[in-house]
Amino acid sequence: MDNFGLIWLVIGLPVAGFLIQALVGKRLIGNGSGKRLVGALAVAPIAAAFALAVVVTINLTTLAPGTREFVSAGWDWIKIAGLNVPFELRIDPLTMLMTLIITGIGALIHLYATGYMAEEKDYARFFTYLNLFIASMLMLVLGNNLVMLFIGWEGVGLCSYLLIGFWYKDLANAKAANKAFIVNRIGDWGLTLGMFLLFVVIAANADKFGAHEDRFLSYDVFLPVIGEILKEMPGVTTAIALLLFVGACGKSAQFPLYLWLPDAMAGPTPVSALIHAATMVTAGVFLLNRLYVIFELSPIASAVIACVGAFTALFAALVAFGQTDIKKVLAYSTVSQLGFMFVACGAGAYWVGMFHVTTHAFFKALLFLGSGAVIHAMAHNQDMRNYGKLRKYLPITFWTMMIGFVAIAGVPPFAGFFSKEGILGYALANSHATAGGVNFSYIVGWVGLAVALLTAFYMTRMTMLTFFSGDERWKLIPAHSEGHDAHEHHAHHASHEDHGPDRHGFFFTQEQLDAEPEVHEHHHDLDESHKPHEVPFSMWFPLVALAILSIGGGYLLNNNHLLEHWLYPPGTQVLSLEAHPHGIPLEALSIGAAVLGILLGLAFYLKKLPIKEGWDLAKWNPFRTLAGNQFGYDNAMVAATVDGGRDLGLAMWQGADAKVVDGAVNGSGWTAGKLGDFFGRIQNGFVRQYALVMLIGVVGLLGAIGYSISKGLDAPPENTRPVGNVPSQAAPSVSPAFGEGR
Amino acid sequence: MGLLSLIVFLPLIGAILLMLLPKEQEKTHKWLALGFSVATFAASLALIPKFTAENFHFQLVESIPWIKSLGISYSLGLDGISFWLILLTTFLSVISFWFSFYIEKRVKLYFICLLILETAMLGVFVSLDMILFYTFFEASLVPMWLLISIWGGERRTYAGLKFFIYTFAGSIFMLVGMIVLANLYAKATGGPISFNIVDIQREVANGKLWAQAMQMQPWIFWSFAVAFLVKCPAFPFHTWLPDAHVEAPTAGSVILAGVLLKMGTYGFLRFCLPLFPDTIGKQVPIIMTLAVIGIIYGAIVASVQPDWKKLVAYSSVSHMGFVLLGIFSLTHTGLMGGAMQQLNHGISTGALFLLIGLVYERRHTRMFKNFGGLKAQMPIYSAIFLIVMLSSVGLPGTNGFIGEFMALMGAFESAYAGAFGLSMWFVVVAGFGVVLAAVYLLYMFQQVFYGKNDNPENQRLKDIKPWEMAMCGLLVVFIFWGGLYPNTFLKPMEASLGAARMMAINPTGTRPVWSDDAHQIDEQMNLVSDGKIIAPANLHYPLKEEITAKEAKLKEVEEWRRVVAGSTTASGDNWNLIAEGNK
Repeated sequence: MDNFGLIWLVIGLPVAGFLIQALVGKRLIGNGSGKRLVGALAVAPIAAAFALAVVVTINLTTLAPGTREFVSAGWDWIKIAGLNVPFELRIDPLTMLMTLIITGIGALIHLYATGYMAEEKDYARFFTYLNLFIASMLMLVLGNNLVMLFIGWEGVGLCSYLLIGFWYKDLANAKAANKAFIVNRIGDWGLTLGMFLLFVVIAANADKFGAHEDRFLSYDVFLPVIGEILKEMPGVTTAIALLLFVGACGKSAQFPLYLWLPDAMAGPTPVSALIHAATMVTAGVFLLNRLYVIFELSPIASAVIACVGAFTALFAALVAFGQTDIKKVLAYSTVSQLGFMFVACGAGAYWVGMFHVTTHAFFKALLFLGSGAVIHAMAHNQDMRNYGKLRKYLPITFWTMMIGFVAIAGVPPFAGFFSKEGILGYALANSHATAGGVNFSYIVGWVGLAVALLTAFYMTRMTMLTFFSGDERWKLIPAHSEGHDAHEHHAHHASHEDHGPDRHGFFFTQEQLDAEPEVHEHHHDLDESHKPHEVPFSMWFPLVALAILSIGGGYLLNNNHLLEHWLYPPGTQVLSLEAHPHGIPLEALSIGAAVLGILLGLAFYLKKLPIKEGWDLAKWNPFRTLAGNQFGYDNAMVAATVDGGRDLGLAMWQGADAKVVDGAVNGSGWTAGKLGDFFGRIQNGFVRQYALVMLIGVVGLLGAIGYSISKGLDAPPENTRPVGNVPSQAAPSVSPAFGEGR
Repeated sequence: MGLLSLIVFLPLIGAILLMLLPKEQEKTHKWLALGFSVATFAASLALIPKFTAENFHFQLVESIPWIKSLGISYSLGLDGISFWLILLTTFLSVISFWFSFYIEKRVKLYFICLLILETAMLGVFVSLDMILFYTFFEASLVPMWLLISIWGGERRTYAGLKFFIYTFAGSIFMLVGMIVLANLYAKATGGPISFNIVDIQREVANGKLWAQAMQMQPWIFWSFAVAFLVKCPAFPFHTWLPDAHVEAPTAGSVILAGVLLKMGTYGFLRFCLPLFPDTIGKQVPIIMTLAVIGIIYGAIVASVQPDWKKLVAYSSVSHMGFVLLGIFSLTHTGLMGGAMQQLNHGISTGALFLLIGLVYERRHTRMFKNFGGLKAQMPIYSAIFLIVMLSSVGLPGTNGFIGEFMALMGAFESAYAGAFGLSMWFVVVAGFGVVLAAVYLLYMFQQVFYGKNDNPENQRLKDIKPWEMAMCGLLVVFIFWGGLYPNTFLKPMEASLGAARMMAINPTGTRPVWSDDAHQIDEQMNLVSDGKIIAPANLHYPLKEEITAKEAKLKEVEEWRRVVAGSTTASGDNWNLIAEGNK
């Protein structure tokens, strides 16, 4: 039975949820009693969408591999001559994999958020954004053309912006939100140009699409043919691939556009888990998979992708050492893992990229939610220097986070091991990403192995600082103030001056203001008496579910090429790749890297930390300071763009615009005035000065035109002037014509 | 009296009625004026069923001789280019009148000005006679000037005068151009002089009008273009706009941004594209360069403004740059995008000024330093503002995206900016304007809505009232309508814009010709059948085919010209240049 139409419900339910939250959410909450209802209304559409997505996926499996593609038509979105972008949804293995991740993990994170945000005043606003995010992300993956992808692409960017700035009263959050949106927009700039170039190429070859000609921008029409077309123009192919990759860099936080992701941790932790770890940031990898036929045609672009990925992975792993904020460690770890995914895509093994997307979604969502539980338990303090020995207080969080930790470290048989080993294997074994005779694939493979070691190391550091390492440190020192995931403080100042009668009813009167109760948020600082408490069911259940996925997910998906053949049935990819390098004992090496990293971490961080000098900062202090500052990159970029941009803007406004451009205007008025004085005919007055300028201008123009006309009419020297309509005297000037009828 | 005349003059009738009433009855004035604007809007809605989208010819034509000896007539007509602008004007007028209930100073004069302004604006968009167009074009200046200089802010006198004189100085060139065109028409036909653009375009299309005056064509083009560039406004003619916007009362700003600027882009579509086919190819790079500079320059200057309204004013410079870029890409996609973008700019920037006005009425300040943290104070207002701002950012799903995207894509495809490569670089740079739009608009949002609300004046602010919400809600509906189903807006414009484009780029003999009589459509020239545009070449991607077609026609044209005009030199050179430029 064909039930692919359900896909409209999969995307429609989150949209409905969003509308409910936006329009009536606040009213439903009332004075706080309706929070459970609103929470349920937020989770239910996502969970239902997941259930429907499962149904659709099962339906898809009944079709033969290679024919698993279905397009459900909606309406004409942009339809003019020569450009037809219909609004239609696409179902295929890749979209359904992403849909399952988005709705499945999304539902778990929504459930978690109902607990995490329980004390939040703007509960409905939070779920408004969160539901809209799910809808946008589904649009991104389900849309059947690049323009629809772009709706989702910018839509998730918007939701990310709104959620990072959720606690907007702190201007730092608002700035982080702006940074995220703007840096993403730089990526979108590349994506747009790549899209244009691709569209122009497609449109120029529209005749190759036969009957489908008028909707040639749809994936199902152009993807099967585009490879043939682009084969003959390698330069254009590389340009398209690199421009699209700029977009992927922005969304997937690759160097040099990764800057926004660490700052994005200013948002509530469920947001970090959902958007900045599990789903949105993987959109770039999705894009590469979606258009792999283009990327695999360009070895140069592939080499660039692989190198950028490897460099980002290494860079972010190093920076992760300098972080004291638990979420920042996870943020850089996300950037680093995304680098791995791009290494896979650069090496040509697109499916492994998606495999790592999947396993990463499991364990990184788990780690983020776990960190959220820790933060929740520690009164919203995110500084690991104030943690220690928490395993005693948070058993469920501890055990689930341990699973996430070994999964990301790459210990078999946990999920991360399989995908990471797959990436390294493909990178070392193949030579797709070869540019200028250098096999970058091989190089980035070894870099990746080193990063795997570093990953195990810094993750051990994080785990040890949080759950082990000697003392319960929050009892020993005052809370570090940085990285405070502060709940908003709502306060009304009671004293106002009287502003006289309020005619339009714009303002609250003094009585109304006094009547409004001051809101005291539940909030306390860390001190000796603080006793961490385990999180409620709504929060630990997602942890357990994700832990189970992190244990078995990798093995199950890897077994019998399950995921590989689901995404790319044998024979669909042009490239033929080796999965394992010859002569390199890769499994032993990658297990060795993981174990060595963990052992190193244990050696440094299992013991008690020195109390003075800011805890573990004492070790390798210069390096840590550098790494903590991202080796100065962020500061340099801020200085160059924000400060430099402001200076440029001010110079252009106060210098060029006011003095030069406008100066010319006012100057002409002034000149006219002086001229007027000179002639003594015109009294003071702006209008007249300008009028004079106008008059001079008009006279000048008339003169020029008259001259040009007379020249034009004089020009043809031949004596073959037609007898017809033109006045026979061959007027040398325009005067008769102007005079006519006056 | 035809429907178009009714729409155009209904506000004027209202103005005359208002003049007769004693000025003490402020309430009556307000309601009567609003009533007339609503009636005008209702009358303009009646255009929707009467308008045929498949036809690029003028419809609902009314023509009465006015000054016969001078060839000036009272001719009105509606086509796809003007259709939405009429509706935009009447719609935004209702909103502006509605908002103007706040006005307390010299109410009678204020509403008379607004009503006259509405008539002038509507007249511009439906005039088929150039002198009539010019009359309305200039007539719109006076009420706007009064609005700025009487009800404006602190520097209102300076701003009002600057607005008036600057735009007037620009359009005087256009008048000269019009007179020359009319005389050339008389010369070409040997008949009486005519200012009717339908007549003139016919002679342009068959090549007769310019046959003897090829060197003049760029001059006349620029005499029109300068007027419209000032009106748009494009860099470097934009400096009147920030002053005018900042000082104008809210309704004035809404109309200024929403409609008056569109007169510039409308003028390009109505005059510059159809009437100068032999020179436009060479002028395109200049105008596109100005457009791109405007996009980037406006955005950079906007991002350092300390004044809320001034920021939006400079953002207009940037946004109108996209309109110009789209129109002068001379591709079908680009033209449609540019035309769409001008509607979007009317809706979104009009809405931005309206929303700023709502707060200005409460706080009487526009400086960012006086705001902050309004999001908690006015949640509904800030939500609406967010939506409008995002439309201005060009977020997909809102109308702003459709126009910007299509304009940029059209410019990318364009072969007419000299060379393909150059055109691509225009887009690469202009695309960065989209990034900068996010920079200055998010900065604006942050300044006003984020952070702590620690100004006691702001802590007493109430959220907007239901009728204000309704007013803004109307605009928000169009933001999403345009974003999710833009075909509503694109379809009626398509035939006319396609024709305008072919008038500009097709070689002589294949250019479409307007008809002001819907029953006498030349079947040969009717480009539209079954709702599809039949293009002489590949409409979408006009590179090779059209150029070949042009070159093929070249000889034919030459022969024909020789017979008609007896001139071989001027026209021949010109054609070769265009052909070379396109290679």
